[in-house]
Amino acid sequence: MSAIIDQNDLKISEKKATQASPRLLLIGNPNVGKSVIFSYLTGRYVTVSNYPGTTVEVSHGKMRYGGVDWEVVDSPGVNSLAPHSEDERVTRDILLEAPPDVIVQVADAKNLRRTLLITSQLAEFGLPMVLVLNMMDEARSRGIEIDVNGISELFGIPVLKAVATEGEGLYDLFKNICKAKIPTDPLNEPRERLLAGEGYENPGHTSLPLQNTFEWMQTQDANLREPVENYLEKSGVEDEIFKPESRLRLRKLSSRLDQLRNGFLEQSVAKYKKTIPTVVDELRSGVVLKLVFILLALGTLTFLYTEIGRAFGLPTPYSLLTTWLDGHALPRLIASLDGLRLGWLGRLLFGTFNSESGAFENGLLYPAVTQFALLIAPVVIPLMMVLRRSRLFGERLGYWSRDWKTGVPMLLVVLLLMYEFVGVIGAASLVDALENTIFNTFLTPGLQAIIPPGLIYDFLLGTYGLISVGMTYALAIVLPIVATFFIAFGLLEDSGYLPRLAILSDRVFRVIGLNGKAILPMVLGLGCDTMATMTTRILGTKKERLIATMLLALGVPCSAQLGVILAISGSMSLGAVTTVVGVILSQMLLVGYLSSKIIKGKRSDFIFELPPIRIPILKNVWTKTRYRMVWYLREALPLFLLGTLILFLLDKLRMNGRSGLDFINSAFSPIVTGVLKLPERSSQVFILGFLRRDYGAAGLFDMVRNGLMDSVQIVTSLIVLTLFIPCVANFFMIIREQGTKRAMLILAFITPFAIAVGAVVNFLLRYFGITF
Amino acid sequence: MHKWISQEIIELLESVWTNEEKGANDEESIASSAKTTVTEDLLAECEREGYITRNLSEIELTPLGRKTAEDVIRRHRIAERLVVDVLGMTLEEVESDACEFEHLVAPGIIEAICTLLGHPRTCPHNLPIPEGHCCRKHEHHLDSVVTSVDNLNVGDRARVAYVSARNYSRVQKLSSLGISPGVTIRLHQKFPGFVIQCDETQIAVEKEIAKDIFVWQDDKVTG
Repeated sequence: MSAIIDQNDLKISEKKATQASPRLLLIGNPNVGKSVIFSYLTGRYVTVSNYPGTTVEVSHGKMRYGGVDWEVVDSPGVNSLAPHSEDERVTRDILLEAPPDVIVQVADAKNLRRTLLITSQLAEFGLPMVLVLNMMDEARSRGIEIDVNGISELFGIPVLKAVATEGEGLYDLFKNICKAKIPTDPLNEPRERLLAGEGYENPGHTSLPLQNTFEWMQTQDANLREPVENYLEKSGVEDEIFKPESRLRLRKLSSRLDQLRNGFLEQSVAKYKKTIPTVVDELRSGVVLKLVFILLALGTLTFLYTEIGRAFGLPTPYSLLTTWLDGHALPRLIASLDGLRLGWLGRLLFGTFNSESGAFENGLLYPAVTQFALLIAPVVIPLMMVLRRSRLFGERLGYWSRDWKTGVPMLLVVLLLMYEFVGVIGAASLVDALENTIFNTFLTPGLQAIIPPGLIYDFLLGTYGLISVGMTYALAIVLPIVATFFIAFGLLEDSGYLPRLAILSDRVFRVIGLNGKAILPMVLGLGCDTMATMTTRILGTKKERLIATMLLALGVPCSAQLGVILAISGSMSLGAVTTVVGVILSQMLLVGYLSSKIIKGKRSDFIFELPPIRIPILKNVWTKTRYRMVWYLREALPLFLLGTLILFLLDKLRMNGRSGLDFINSAFSPIVTGVLKLPERSSQVFILGFLRRDYGAAGLFDMVRNGLMDSVQIVTSLIVLTLFIPCVANFFMIIREQGTKRAMLILAFITPFAIAVGAVVNFLLRYFGITF
Repeated sequence: MHKWISQEIIELLESVWTNEEKGANDEESIASSAKTTVTEDLLAECEREGYITRNLSEIELTPLGRKTAEDVIRRHRIAERLVVDVLGMTLEEVESDACEFEHLVAPGIIEAICTLLGHPRTCPHNLPIPEGHCCRKHEHHLDSVVTSVDNLNVGDRARVAYVSARNYSRVQKLSSLGISPGVTIRLHQKFPGFVIQCDETQIAVEKEIAKDIFVWQDDKVTG
């Protein structure tokens, strides 16, 4: 044994001398804190996420260690090294193709069995490794104690404890990297005996684990062929494997090897894991907890009452307080600010008084802050306090969220909270404040004063100006909506709520040939369809990915578009909104159902690990939101500007006194005015909608605001625009994920379908004389 | 207790039984589906031994013949269930193995296998499995030894006996999440989806998968 270790140390130092950089590989189950440890080692942060798929692209980083630069690789989370998912395949391939110099296995201390499954599989690869038992705090709070020394002796490797999120034990890990050892494989001997009995040679340390041979036989995975054939040749059985009778023999052997490993895992867990009954933590702070519960109940009731009161025009605590602020407090404050010559600051923060509505509008702080402080905080803050104090409540909350009797009402509250946050704070207050205050009051007039009228003026500030339209749309209308949506999504994601929603919605998704996992891309699609199309990778089969991609393109409005739709629907009746939502949902179900019948292939199994319900870690949420916003801006801003530029050019290019826009309008008018009975100008909306759907929606909003459409036209155009082809970025993403042919087929289906549905709705509404 | 019966007779009786299930009893279809050459000698021997009666070209089982055929069919179909569910073989692979199997296994062992599998009612081809003593006993004593997770009540604890291996990747995936033979699980929820606690992990699965996880339900299992 010691000889092997010496050789191993030698190997590392030799590599140090000859190769540019030795490699360290992080391996572990999903959601065990690999990314946090990765960022600790390399100083670079990557997105930490609660569902598989976001780290499927392997992250690389550099680490300075022992005077040499190391390459640190963060592999996708795996549950087993015999792969069943894309993530697991990637990790297995990294191990096979480029064996690292040191493996750091990051594990969830409270799940010892799953930890040791991976450790025992890694032992077959025979590479130096260290085991980190992370999340020790959660294990401790559950009364779980782990015999670290025992495990260390069992495998002959360093085993360390850590709480990565708190930074506990990380330096210890850093120091121990050089102490990594090639593990002894406790299963080696029994396996050798089993295999010898069957006439096979044990693959041992240096060659491919036998499990991969069986896997190859099942899947015929091309990546495995070469190593498997080498192994079989060495064992002298390469001919035998192709005979049907040896298939059965190998199958039986495989299941006996599984039994062997399972038995070992059971024994080890029984030996090294002790559970001590803990004092129920409720008792520790009984009174405080009760108070917080009362606060939570009051907050939720007030919130629900306010929502209902708003719909019926009842006085609510919120409306009473804002009336007082608008009528008494703010005018006095503004007056005193004026006295201090700070009136501009007052306008920036609180906005200006609108005598029509009797309220202050367009301020940066107000009404977004009042909305948050009065409606969202009273529910969310006590909730977070309870979660922090009581693990039991977290478990119960997790249960309530996935049982349909309690889960559906909870979903409604979550949706209402999201609507308050994204729809009202983001889409209404922040958009108003940014658009009217910064762009329309300060930036645009300021530039108008500097730039002389002419082509440059038109180019930047005209009807289709890059700043007055492109930048305003992108930064003032879309950005606040997207940002608030991504914050809300990040909170839901990090709290562990979304996976529970997957259970709740599994049955609905099964109708359309998907399973509950599809809730993740679908909800993310409400933020940005392009990003969601990329996330469809988490779905198990090709068929599911195709259906989800198509439905995203067809009917899921992205947040910016949703924001504009919400703004328009503010001026519509409840009946009109119901019609739009009903038509779109029913078409999605219909198309999903039909395509699940038409498209060949299978639905994947719904097996899903539920992460614990926890308080979102704000740092994680912020990192993810920032990452997504940067992605969005890089993606959206150029397209917004490009879209404006195209419109500008079309507007300026004149022929026989008619501009390019007029040509397009008249070219599309048979469809737009003839079939859909919409004003001619709405052609532009649909063209813009292709550049960015939200951009098109914003154009529509403009037309509605100027009273260019009647209610049936608004309903028809909203339906067509939502169902219409996805934006350019989304289309490129579909090409990337599904290939050009399928992308074209999707496009060729959706465009006429959207127009047809719009035409039918328009015809029916007019035929029955329904106006809203 | 069992008198030795020749292989040919057994094959013939099996064929009579399966044809009867399809509603046929003519010699021609029985001969064509039997896995042995049906000769006049064989038929005559069967008649002489009191297994069948012949009326023109129609063949009927006698009570003795029915009892013998039922026994063989039961063994055959339980064996099929075993190799498909537990060993995870495909139906094509099954035929030859189950065939050998039925001749080798003693009746007592078949009872044990039947109990382990939770007294299955149909074979993988969806044909009925004749009931044995153990199945009838099982109906009187409701405590089944092995049952699938979808038969558990919310809050029940149970120890995993095996995971039906019809779908290899499903078994592997469940096993990597910790659900494998010998592990104690607890059922948290049944609707709209199944939530199983295993170790400190909660796993959500759909009903079809819960049906594939077979457990020993034992009151003594705690912890």
